[in-house]
Amino acid sequence: MSVFTRTDVTAVKFYKNYVLAGIGSTVNLFHKTSTKLLQRLSGLYGQKIYGFVPSQYGDKIFVFGGKQFTVVSLSDPEQSNEGTDLLCRLFEPVVCDDWLHSAVWINKDVIALLTAHNVVQKWDIKAGTLTSQHASKDNSILYSGLLLKLEEDVLVMAGTVFSEVIIHKCGAERPLHHLKGHKGVIFSISCEPSRNIIVTTSDDRSVRIWGPDNEPTHPGTTVEYWKDTNIVCKHEVYGHLARVMRSCITNDLIISVGEDSAICYWDYEGKLLKKALTHQNGCIWSVDSDNTTLVTGGGDCGVILHPLTIATDYSYNEIIDVGVASPKKVIFTARKNLLVMDENVLVYYDFISKVKSTHKLNHDSTYKLLSISSCKQLIAIADMTGKLDVFLEKCKDDAFILNIIDTKLQLGKILSMHWAGNRHLVFCSDDGNVSVLASNNATVEIVARFVLPFCKERWLTASAIDSGSKYFVLGDRCGNIHIFVKEQKDPVKSFSKVHGRYGPTSINIVNNDIITTGRDGTIMYFTIQGDGIKRLSAKDLAFEWVEKFLDKDQNLVCGFQERVFVVYNIKDNCKVIETPCGGGHRSWDAVRYFEKVNEKYEECIKFVYLKDAAINITTFQLSKITSTNLVHGSHAKEINCLKALKLNDDAVYISGGEDTTLRISSVDAVNFKDEVAFKHLSSIRTLKTHAIDDNRFLIMSAGGRAQICIKDVQILKENGTIRVKSEELVDHFIRGTDKERKGNQTWRNCSIDFDPEMRIMDLDLLKYKDDFVIFAGCSDSHLRVFSYKNKSKKLELINESKYHNTCILKTKIITILNKTTLITCTTRGDVTMWDISDVINCNFEPFFSTKTNKSGINALATANLPENQLLVATGGDDNSIHIILLEIPDQDYLGSMIMLNSWQSSNFHSSQITGLCLVGNYMLSSSIDQRVTLLSWSVKERNIVCEFVSQTSTDVADVQGMDLLEFNGDSITVCVFGKGMEVINVPTNQE
Amino acid sequence: MGKTSKDKRDIYYRLAKEEGWRARSAFKLLQINEEHNIFKGVTRAVDLCAAPGSWSQVLTKNLRQNAQNVDDVKIVAVDLQAMAALPGVIQIQGDITKVSTANSIIQEFEGLKADLVVCDGAPDVTGLHDIDEYVQSQLLLAALNITTHVLKYGGVFVAKIFRGKDVSLLYSQLKQFFEHVTVSKPRSSRNSSIEAFVVCKNYQPPEGYIPNMVNPLLDHKYCDFNQFTGPNRVIVPFNACGDLSAYDSDTSYPLLLEGQTSYEYKEPVQSPINPPYKEILEKTRNIQIKNT
Repeated sequence: MSVFTRTDVTAVKFYKNYVLAGIGSTVNLFHKTSTKLLQRLSGLYGQKIYGFVPSQYGDKIFVFGGKQFTVVSLSDPEQSNEGTDLLCRLFEPVVCDDWLHSAVWINKDVIALLTAHNVVQKWDIKAGTLTSQHASKDNSILYSGLLLKLEEDVLVMAGTVFSEVIIHKCGAERPLHHLKGHKGVIFSISCEPSRNIIVTTSDDRSVRIWGPDNEPTHPGTTVEYWKDTNIVCKHEVYGHLARVMRSCITNDLIISVGEDSAICYWDYEGKLLKKALTHQNGCIWSVDSDNTTLVTGGGDCGVILHPLTIATDYSYNEIIDVGVASPKKVIFTARKNLLVMDENVLVYYDFISKVKSTHKLNHDSTYKLLSISSCKQLIAIADMTGKLDVFLEKCKDDAFILNIIDTKLQLGKILSMHWAGNRHLVFCSDDGNVSVLASNNATVEIVARFVLPFCKERWLTASAIDSGSKYFVLGDRCGNIHIFVKEQKDPVKSFSKVHGRYGPTSINIVNNDIITTGRDGTIMYFTIQGDGIKRLSAKDLAFEWVEKFLDKDQNLVCGFQERVFVVYNIKDNCKVIETPCGGGHRSWDAVRYFEKVNEKYEECIKFVYLKDAAINITTFQLSKITSTNLVHGSHAKEINCLKALKLNDDAVYISGGEDTTLRISSVDAVNFKDEVAFKHLSSIRTLKTHAIDDNRFLIMSAGGRAQICIKDVQILKENGTIRVKSEELVDHFIRGTDKERKGNQTWRNCSIDFDPEMRIMDLDLLKYKDDFVIFAGCSDSHLRVFSYKNKSKKLELINESKYHNTCILKTKIITILNKTTLITCTTRGDVTMWDISDVINCNFEPFFSTKTNKSGINALATANLPENQLLVATGGDDNSIHIILLEIPDQDYLGSMIMLNSWQSSNFHSSQITGLCLVGNYMLSSSIDQRVTLLSWSVKERNIVCEFVSQTSTDVADVQGMDLLEFNGDSITVCVFGKGMEVINVPTNQE
Repeated sequence: MGKTSKDKRDIYYRLAKEEGWRARSAFKLLQINEEHNIFKGVTRAVDLCAAPGSWSQVLTKNLRQNAQNVDDVKIVAVDLQAMAALPGVIQIQGDITKVSTANSIIQEFEGLKADLVVCDGAPDVTGLHDIDEYVQSQLLLAALNITTHVLKYGGVFVAKIFRGKDVSLLYSQLKQFFEHVTVSKPRSSRNSSIEAFVVCKNYQPPEGYIPNMVNPLLDHKYCDFNQFTGPNRVIVPFNACGDLSAYDSDTSYPLLLEGQTSYEYKEPVQSPINPPYKEILEKTRNIQIKNT
C-alpha cells in the first residue's frame, strides 16, 4: 500500500473549484483557493497519468495514461456528507493495446481515443467495450496528438516523428492539412478553433502558432472550417533554452513550458510578455489554465499555481519629480516615504500627501555618506571632513523629518559610516580607525574605538550590534568579518574572506544568529554560542549580488543579477520579483509592506532606483505575481541516496541527488517540504548519518568531483515548525580544489591533468575513539580511508588500497564477533571483506573475497546469524539476487571465512536491482523495473531457504534504492527513491 | 569543461576515438559477439537505425573473413537520417516501417535473406521513463517487423532494449519469433544505464505467420493484473558480456593508461550531421535568450 508518492507530475487540470494533479498513478484533488489536498485516489495500475478530460455531459472525468484509462466522478460537496470522498473511480482501469495520446468525449457514454499509431478508438464507457476503430495510413509512431470534437465528426491532429502535424478527419482517406516547419519531434499540440489558433511545441526549442490565412466562414466545430481553410504558420517563436514540452491557450495568452523549467507567456502575435523560471530547474511536464490562474506540474514533483497577472499586470511603474535636478541618493524611511539627497539638499517626499520638504545641507565636501538606522527612523548624513547631521522621522500624525543633531566630528578623513542598530553610528577613518558614536542629548560621544586589522581596502561596508549590545560585528571592504567588544581595540574574532572582494553588503543579528549577505552570491550564517562565535553554513543563491533582507524572518532577500533587480524567497527557493533596472551600481532601495487594496491586506514591495537622473518607482503587489505551491518541489533529478529519520513524531528525510543538492525535508500530516538544501559541485552519490543525540547528527555526503562534505545538523521544533540548524564541518576535495590543482593557469595554457576525474560511489563511517574513520569506495577502483578529527575539523587520508581493479560500488561496515568488518562490492560482482578493527595500523588487505553477481552490485544487505555466521545479500545489474551464507571458522581470529551455502534467483525482477533490505526473516528488493518484492528467508541446517511472498509496484521510475522506515511484525514500511520517492507499506501476512 | 574531461570520464568514448570508431557503441557489438559469436558464418547483415555508423563499421571489419571473396559480404545500413558514407556498406535512407525499405534490402541481397539483423536505434529520450521505454519498444518492434521480412529462418537478431517496468512484455513478444532470447549487457555499457541488448537466436516465426507491414506490430499487454506483478512475469536469462579483463565503463581511468607512455587528444571521428537544435543555434547566435 502506498502511503505517499512524489514523482514527476505529468498531468494537471482545472475543474470547477478544483485542481486535479496526476502524480504517478494517483489522482490528487486540491481545492483551488484553500490549496488544500482534499483527496488522493488510486487512478491507474502502476502507470503514470498523462491526461484528465472532464466530460461536457456531467460530472465525469476521463483519466488516462500509457495504455490505460478509467473514469472518475466528482460529487458536489454541498450535497455529499461530510467526510465522504468527493472523487470516486467508476471502474477498474481498462488496458488498450496501444499508448494513448488524447481523448475527447463524443457523448455522455462514448469517448474517442487517439493512440500512438494514429488509430482513433471509440469506447462505450458504460459497457466498457471498444465499439469502433479507424487507423490512419500515417501510422509511424506519434509523439503527440490531439482529438477535437466536431459537430458530427472527430478531427485528428497527429504530431509525427517526421516533424510535422497531420490533420485529418477521423475515418477519412486523405489528410486535410500537413503543418510543416518544425525541425524536431512535435511534443504537444493545443488548439482553440474559436480563436483560430493551433500551437505546437517541439524538440527544436521553438513554439509555432498556426492559423487560417484568412477569416474562415464556418465555425471551428464544423468539417467545412477544416476543409475550406488554408492553415499556415503565423509565428515561429523562440524563448526556451531547451525542448518545449507543452502549451496551453487562454483568452488572451499562449503559455508554453519547457525542459528548461521556464514558463513563457506569449500574446497571440507571438510576442514574449514574460518568462518565469520555476520548478527548481526541473522539466515542466504539464500545464493548464482557467483564464485567471495557471497550474504547472514538474519534474521536481511540485505542483504550482501561478496568477496570470504575472504576464499582464506585473508591476506599477512611475517616475516622480521632487524638484531635484540630479539626485544622488534615494532611500525609504520607516513610514515608507522617500528621502532624496543631492549635493546640497535632502528632500523628504510624502507618498500619501505628495508633499515634499527640503532641508539644506551645509557640508564642506560634496561627497556625502548617508546611512539609515535599523528602525529606519534615523537618518545620518556625514561628509568626509566630519560634518554630521542626524534627522528623525516623526512616527505619528503628519509625516516630516527633524534635524536632531548637527555637529562636526574630529575623526580625520571619514571613509565609511554605518548604523549599528538604532543607537550606534560606526565611523571608519584613516588607518582602519573605527569610532563608535552614540547620542547624548543633542550631541554625540564616542563610546568605543576599534582598529581594523590591516587589509588592502581598510574600511567598512556593513555593521551590526547584538541585542545585548555586547558584540559589534563589522565587515570590511576586503570581505572579512570582525567581531569587537567595547573594551577591546582589536577584534576578539575575525573570519577572513567571508564575502569576496566587495565586502559584506549587510549584517543582521537576530537573537543569537548572525546572518550576512555579500556580492559573492551567498548568505552566511553564524551563531553566538556562550562566549564564542561560530561560523555555521553558507547558502548559495542564484544571483551574484545579494544585498539585504526585506522581512524580519530573513526569508525575502533582494539583490541584482546583472542588470536585473531580484527578490528571492529562500524557503521556497524561487525568485519572487525580477525587474530590469540597469544594475546595482546606482542608488536604490526597496521596502516591503502591507496595504489595504479592495478591503484586503495585500503584501507589496516598492522599489526605487535612479536611472538617467530620474527617480523611478516600481510597485509590486505580490498576490498578482507570486506563485503558490500545491505540492512543494524538491530534487529536480534522480535521488541517488536517501536516509529517513524519525525525530519524535516527525519524519525527516535527508536526500542527495543527481541535481547536486543535499536536502533535508520534513513531512507533517499533509505536506512534504524541503527545510534546507546544500549544494555539491557534482552529483551526490552517497550519504551516511551518525546520531550525536536525539535531534542532532552528522551527515557525510560524497559523490562526483571526489568531494566529501560533513555537516553537523540539528533539527529543532519551535512552535510546531521545524527549524534546521547546520554547521558545515568539512568540504573536502580528495584531488584538491580546482585552484589547488591548476594554480593560476588560464584555460588557454592549461596543461593536461592526467589524473582521472574520480567519483566517490559509496562511503561508510566508523566511530574511532572521539573521532571518525571514513571508508570511501571510489570509481578509480581505490578504497580510500580518511580520518576525521572533531577538533581540527580536518579530513586526512590515512590509508589506501588498490586491491580492486574496477569501480567500487558499495561499502558497508558491519560488526561480527565484536570486530568491525568492511564489505566492498564492485562493478565486476566481487564481494570482499576487510578486517578494519585496527584500522590505523593494519596492512589493509582483504581476508575474503567471492564473486556473486555477473556484473555490478548495486544493493547490499547483511544479517548476523548465531554461531559465527553471516548472511550477505547482493542485488545487481544482472537482475539477480544472491544470498551467501558465510562462517568464520576461528572465533578468535578474523582471518578467513568459508562460504557454507549460496542461493540466487533472477526470477523476480526484469531490471537492475538497486535496493535490498533484510528485516527479521524477510527480505525486500527494489528494482528499476519499478517492482518491490517481498521474500522470506531462513537458514536450515546450513542451507538458505528463500521464498517469494508478494510483489507490489511503485510509481517511482529509475529506482536507486530503498530505506527501511519501520517493521512492526505485520508490515514493513520502506521509502523507495529514484525519480521521486514513495513510501510503501508492505504487509507480511498475506491473506 | 576541459577538452580532456570527456576522455577521462568515459574510457570507451576515448578508445572509440583512438581506434577510429564513430561512436563508443562499437564496443558493445564487439563484446556481444565475444559472448554470443553472432558473426559466425554471416555474409549478409542488416544494420537498422545505423547512424552514425559504428555498428556498420564493426560489421565490415568482422564479416570480411567469413567469405573468400570480399564482395560476397553484403552489409546494408538503414536509417531515416543521412549518414556519412562507409566503404563496404550499402546505405538506404529510409523508414523501417515501410515495405519498400524491406524490398530494397532484399534487392541488395539479390533475393536472398539476411543472416543477421542488428539494431542499435534509440529514440530522443524525453526524461519520462515510461514514454522512453514505450517508444524504444516500438522502435524495436518496428525493427522486428522489418526483420520478419528480411531475416532467414535460423537467423540472429540483436537489438537495444531499455530494461524498464514493462520490458517483460517485449520478451514475451520476442519469444514468439525466436527460439533463444537472452538479454546481454556489454561491459562497455554502464552499470547505471537501463540499456541492454536482446540477442535472439534461431528465427522461427509462429506457424502460418505472414510478414505484414500494413499494421504496426504492437507489444503485448498484461492480460490481467495478476501478471503485472508476481513471479510469473516473463523474464529471460541475463548475461554480462565482454572479457573480464576489458575496461569497465564505470571506472575512472587516468589519461595515461597502464602501459602507455603518452597521451594525445583525438577529435571525434564523426560529428552530428543535422541535429534538431541546429536551427535555433544559428538563429540565436547573435541574440541571447536569457533566463531573466
